[in-house]
Amino acid sequence: MAEKLEIQSVSKHYSIGQNRLDVLSNININVESGHFLSIVGPSGCGKSTLLRLIVGLDDQYDGSILLNGTRIGGTSLARGIVFQDHRLLPWLTLEGNIGLSLENSGWSRQDRALAVESHIELVGLTGFEKNYPHQLSGGMAQRAAIARALVGKPEILLLDEPLGALDALTRLRLQDELLRIWRAQATTMILVTHDVDEAIFLSNEILVMSAKPGRIASRIAVDLDYPRDRASHEFADLKRRVLSDMDFSSNRSEAA
Amino acid sequence: MNSISTAIEVAETPVILAPRRSWRFPKTANLIGLILPLAIFALWQTAATFAWIEPVFLPAPAKVARAFWQMLTKQDLAFDFLASVTIVGQSLLYGGLAGVGLGIAAGLSGRVERFFGPTLDTIRHIPGIAWLPLIVLWLGIGAPAKILVISKSVFFPIFLNTLQGIRNVEKHHIELAKVLTLTRWQMVRKVILPSALPNILVSLRYAAGLAWALVVVAEGLSGMQGLGFLIFRAQGLLLTDQLMVCMVVIGLVGFGIDRLMFAIQRGLLRWKQGYEG
Repeated sequence: MAEKLEIQSVSKHYSIGQNRLDVLSNININVESGHFLSIVGPSGCGKSTLLRLIVGLDDQYDGSILLNGTRIGGTSLARGIVFQDHRLLPWLTLEGNIGLSLENSGWSRQDRALAVESHIELVGLTGFEKNYPHQLSGGMAQRAAIARALVGKPEILLLDEPLGALDALTRLRLQDELLRIWRAQATTMILVTHDVDEAIFLSNEILVMSAKPGRIASRIAVDLDYPRDRASHEFADLKRRVLSDMDFSSNRSEAA
Repeated sequence: MNSISTAIEVAETPVILAPRRSWRFPKTANLIGLILPLAIFALWQTAATFAWIEPVFLPAPAKVARAFWQMLTKQDLAFDFLASVTIVGQSLLYGGLAGVGLGIAAGLSGRVERFFGPTLDTIRHIPGIAWLPLIVLWLGIGAPAKILVISKSVFFPIFLNTLQGIRNVEKHHIELAKVLTLTRWQMVRKVILPSALPNILVSLRYAAGLAWALVVVAEGLSGMQGLGFLIFRAQGLLLTDQLMVCMVVIGLVGFGIDRLMFAIQRGLLRWKQGYEG
């Protein structure tokens, strides 16, 4: 049972005064090493909250989350995350931002420099090492954020709507990049997204969540060969299925 | 297959801004800034030439220039100037170190802030000039009393801005520091201080101007040297030309200090993209 993420009957609620707000209810997920899992669902279904629990930013929950059989506690370099906003520190150069991930890696200075360089290359930003974030476009900044999350060689990369704030073309291009990176690095990836096409294009499996309280509505395996053709029948069929599970009417899905 | 994504290979073009000049001083801005001083100078000259104001009260520019030369060569203008600058430099150093240091401590720990808060807020409201008489009784009329009072006056803007700068650090950045497993010290060094730096630098610039203004007042009130002393002595002796020499020197030095602080600020905040007019 090597390198596996197990989420066992995880529930989370907030107490607001007398009221109890259930955000997640009895979530059970197993993610095999090297898989690409996407989580889709309406706003407020708790999918981002789930990522925060996995990355270790929030430990107020019931149930357990195990990585390789060990319960996770706090954040760790074994779990990287890319947020919707790039969250690069404006006072550090591209290099500095990516290198910040390795502060506590225990690697030698030389290994760190090499890792930073190779990850800048991986996301196609060679030549921009000394640039400050305000000198990068939105797409470039988001690539840098991906490089920062990957540079420490995490076992799992969590992606919290990482392409959500980008324009449509940059988004398609970065989906290709993500796919390429995933296949090259074989890192387990968990992607939260609103974009059903993105989920189908990238993942082995899609979890559809529903809201109030956040729970898993269905699991859909995606067995298409990579790279996937967004215009194929199989793709459209899957999309129809995911959307209908998300409570969309199936006739509207073609237009979307 | 994948026709869309291949068609957009070139879609994302990088944006690179032209490298910023470290000391920007465009010619046009330079000239625009000179118009008003020249106009004032011309008005002064005209007023003196036509004796709109009695020469005893408004000496001509040439007379002031001669007085400057005389003060420099026959009297101790350079010495007095140095005395004032030394006081300002030391006050800024001590007040700045204390302000930044305590500001960081209070910014990082609510307990430190609560411990010092009431005391500092009370002391802050007693103006430096009100402290001077007592401090002079303790330390005498020399430089130490002035340094102490001016340090106190520059301490507060620096302390409060440092504290506020740390309080304004984005929550998202703190969260990022946690994700990257930074230790508390790493977080302070890499995230909190750089984030608070713009606030700290603005307060240092303000404090430098404040210290320069206060030294003139403090020297006027006590002591036997410095530009402030000269200016009040000149008033007493009705040496308006000397008085105006002091005023011009004070103004120009103040301008120089401000430009210097601005250049430092610019150099340290190259990462910041701001509106530059």
